[in-house]
Amino acid sequence: MAQSKLVKGLTHSRVWRSLFRHGWPDNPLDRSLTMTSNIFFHLHPVKVSRKSLRWQYSFGLGVVATILYGVLIFTGVLLMFYYVPSVERAYPSMKEIQLSVPLGQFTRNMHRWAAHGMVLVVILHMVRVFYTGAYKPPRQFNWVIGVILLLFTLGASFTGYLLPWDQLSFWAITVGTNIASYAPGAGPVMREILLGGTEVGQDTLIRFYTLHIALLPLSLALVVSLHLWRVRKDGGLAATEVPDGEG
Amino acid sequence: MTNELPVKDEVFPKDTSKSYAIVEMVRGDSPMVGKGPDDTVFSFPIVLLWEILLLLGVTLAIFLFSLAKQAPLDAIANPQITTDPAKAPWYFVGLQELLEHMHPTLAGIVIPGVLVGFLMSIPYLDNSREFAGVWFSSKRGKRIVVWTAVYTVIAMVAFIAFDNAFSIRETLRGVAPPWVAQWVIPGLILAVIVLLPVVILWRKKGSARDIMIALFTVMIVSAVVLTISGFLFRGPGFEMYWPWQMPDGYNPWDEL
Ligand code: HEM
Repeated sequence: MAQSKLVKGLTHSRVWRSLFRHGWPDNPLDRSLTMTSNIFFHLHPVKVSRKSLRWQYSFGLGVVATILYGVLIFTGVLLMFYYVPSVERAYPSMKEIQLSVPLGQFTRNMHRWAAHGMVLVVILHMVRVFYTGAYKPPRQFNWVIGVILLLFTLGASFTGYLLPWDQLSFWAITVGTNIASYAPGAGPVMREILLGGTEVGQDTLIRFYTLHIALLPLSLALVVSLHLWRVRKDGGLAATEVPDGEG
Repeated sequence: MTNELPVKDEVFPKDTSKSYAIVEMVRGDSPMVGKGPDDTVFSFPIVLLWEILLLLGVTLAIFLFSLAKQAPLDAIANPQITTDPAKAPWYFVGLQELLEHMHPTLAGIVIPGVLVGFLMSIPYLDNSREFAGVWFSSKRGKRIVVWTAVYTVIAMVAFIAFDNAFSIRETLRGVAPPWVAQWVIPGLILAVIVLLPVVILWRKKGSARDIMIALFTVMIVSAVVLTISGFLFRGPGFEMYWPWQMPDGYNPWDEL
């Protein structure tokens, strides 16, 4: 291996060797170790089949959904520094974010468009998984996990929709949660549990806020981890199984 | 394209008269032992670069979009003044459209419940293993998708337009009890729309996968039609308008 003095000095230094258990990744062994000895890279196997990387197979939609989730966490945490989930202060804090917080409007834009994008991309991902028949054995349960992810994604988006506390969000949530009250028997009770009262108010706002910034993102993180772990355990993408010359 | 999956052993055919064989010596960097030549690439750095590229691309797209379009902020919430129209977010507006055409329990609870149940049970209804990882499974699958999609667009648009023009609920008022107008008739219409492709495939001896393809296509195309109708074609009072003739300067895109 033709390594420069610099690289050699770097990869043999005590600091490097305490951080990484592999040398400079320019050879098969170290490239393998780069993956197997790193918790983040360990989502992937050391080598993946070329077929599963084909763009026209997956369109990268699952990866894009994961990226959008990351963008949402990042911009969402920034918004949390300013947003106050109270009926009196929610709307003024939105105005403040837009008018006086540096890049506030831009951060809010990114959060909102990424949220719409994530709902759309997750639906498209499901459509692609269905039409490629990737739910078939042994991936049945990962499909079921996916359906749960779809529901969580819709829930996260819907609960976030209320937070600006403007006319748009107030009436959209009123219309949306009215649907719950049509469940036979338990309907009105279900709506009351959802809203924390009989109509959209402070109790609703704090419920939706808690779901939106804690419960649903954490559940998503957990279940997405399970989903990605299972993709690997199921032998990578279903495209890998297609015999050469087909598909 | 054959219907049978080729035998995997073809890569290294077994010779049964020998108990051992040296198959081939190859220079390579694959950790895969005991398998045929594989078509794989190192995750590091290839897959990683792909992902970094996607990350940059997605972020850039959101950046540009966020520069071009501002997130909407309406007047402060006022429980005394209803907005007109009051629409659910776009991913639920298809359900809201459905609510216009039948009993709310049917549209808001039963149908979504059935859909989630259907989605979750797809892998158990179709437990075939063939053609996993192949788009539409086969040419036949692709034809089923195209025909079912065209059919569903026509059927759902006709259903929405018909019910909008001659409201089933109003026409049958006083003639039949409300549960007929709001449960039985719309339920039957939807059941026929959904089951017609299934029956046709059944008679043509379609596989479980064929039937799943038809059902899923009906579901997703109906959802798209209902969403477009609710989002673009409903104006004040949730009444039907042509999108280019929306009264009061109402623009659904302002409410994203
Ligand atoms: C938060 C939402 C989701 C995330 C972040 C996510 C992420 C991913 C990723 C990164 C992959 C790898 C392949 C690819 O990029 O396409 C994948 C595969 C898969 N996903 Fe998802 N997914 C989500 C929702 C869903 C949904 C809604 C379904 C189905 C109902 C689903 C079912 C599957 C299945 C079966 C695979 C294996 C596909 C194959 O083998 O070709 N996922 N997912």
